Amino acid sequence: MGGMHGFGPVTRDRRDRALDEPPFHEPWEARTFGLVVATSAKGLRTGSTRPAIEKIEPARYLASSYYERWAAGVEAALVAGGSLTSAEVDRRSATVGRGPTRSQATDPELAAAIRGFLNGPSPTSGEPVAAAFAVGDRVTVRRMAPVGHHRCPRYVRGVTGTVERINGGWPHPDADTPEAVYQVRFDMRDLWGNDAEPGALYVDLWERYLS
Amino acid sequence: MSDRHEDDRSIARRVTAIESLLVEKGLITSDVVDAVVETYERDVGPLNGARVVARAWVDAAYRERLLDDGTQAVGELGFGGAEGEHLVVLENTPTVHNVVVCTLCSCYPWPVLGLPPRWYKSFAYRSRMVREPRAVLAEFGTALGDDVEVRVWDSSADVRYMVLPLQPDGADGLAEDELVPLVTRDHMIGVVR
Repeated sequence: MGGMHGFGPVTRDRRDRALDEPPFHEPWEARTFGLVVATSAKGLRTGSTRPAIEKIEPARYLASSYYERWAAGVEAALVAGGSLTSAEVDRRSATVGRGPTRSQATDPELAAAIRGFLNGPSPTSGEPVAAAFAVGDRVTVRRMAPVGHHRCPRYVRGVTGTVERINGGWPHPDADTPEAVYQVRFDMRDLWGNDAEPGALYVDLWERYLS
Repeated sequence: MSDRHEDDRSIARRVTAIESLLVEKGLITSDVVDAVVETYERDVGPLNGARVVARAWVDAAYRERLLDDGTQAVGELGFGGAEGEHLVVLENTPTVHNVVVCTLCSCYPWPVLGLPPRWYKSFAYRSRMVREPRAVLAEFGTALGDDVEVRVWDSSADVRYMVLPLQPDGADGLAEDELVPLVTRDHMIGVVR
C-alpha cells in the first residue's frame, strides 16, 4: 500500500481523536478480534491470518473495512485448519438468533493464560543468528514479485539503503528458523525521486530480501 | 450508508455464526474470547505508554535503558506481551522527528498503546505517510521546520516502534504523575510533536 495515490486526506472524527477511543466500534469487531486470538491459542489454525487476508481479491480488499478483512481471514484460516466449512457458516448465519451463540462451558485456565500472554512482561525476542551484513553496509533490496504473504514493501524493491541496526533473528513468514532482520535506512529521494520531501525512511528487512 | 449498514449486519451475523459453530463443536469457549476483548477494552491502552514516557522524562537512567532495550524497560513498569516482544523506542530530539506507520496492515505496539486507532489502519495513512510525511503531519496540525529531519518507520516486520516525544516546554519540575496526562497516543505514534 505504501506510496499508492488517491486515498485523499487522513480523516478523523471526534471519536477517533479521543485518547479513550474504544478499540472496537461494533460488538462484532470485538468478537472477530477475540476469535483470532482465541482460535490461535486453541491451535485451531496455524500461523497468521495475514496470508488469508492478503489473498482477498484486490477490489474486495479495498471495499472492505479493517475488521471485515480480519473476519474473512479468520474464517479462511479455520476452514483451512478443518474446524468448519464455509457452507456451515452460510447455514449457521441464516439461523443466528436461533440457538446459543455463547458457550455454557468455560475454560478459566486458558482465559487466564491468554490474559498473561497479552498483558504481562516477557523477555526481549529476536534470536542471535549469523548476519551477512554489518551496520553501515550499503544494501540493495532485491527486485522480486513474490506471490502470497511476504514482508517486503514494494516501494523499497531495487532501492539501496544503509544497515542501521541488526534486529536479531526472526522466522520469515514462510520459514520456521530465524533469519537475520536488518533495520535499513533509505533516503526519501532514493525512494520517491528528486522532488521528494527530504527525510529518511526506515524498514526492517529479512536477509533474503537484500543483496 | 444503508449498504454499509447492511454489510455490517451481514458480517456481524457471519462472525456470530463462526463463534456459535466453534462453541457448538466444543472447540472454543466464549469466556476465552471475552478475556481477549476485555484486555484491550479495560486493561491495556495508551495510558501504559504515557506512563513509560513520563518515567523516561524524569529518570535519565530509565530513559537510557528504554532506548537501549524497550521491551525490557517497559517490562520494569509491568507492561509487555503480544506485539511487544521486540519494542524499539525512538527518541525525538530538537532536530529529529519520528513517526510510525505500517504499510502492510496495522503493526502496532499493543502492550504500550493498546490496539491501533481507525485512522492508523486507513488506506490514506498507510499509503501516504511513507511518501509525503510532512504533508500528512500538517493534516494533523504538526508543522516542522526545515531544520528537523523527519524519520518515518514502516513497521512491517516483527519489531514494534513507539516514539519518545520531547518533553513540552513549561513541564520542567512537574512530578511523574503530573506528566502522564500530557502524553497522548498521537505523540507516541509521532503524528504530533
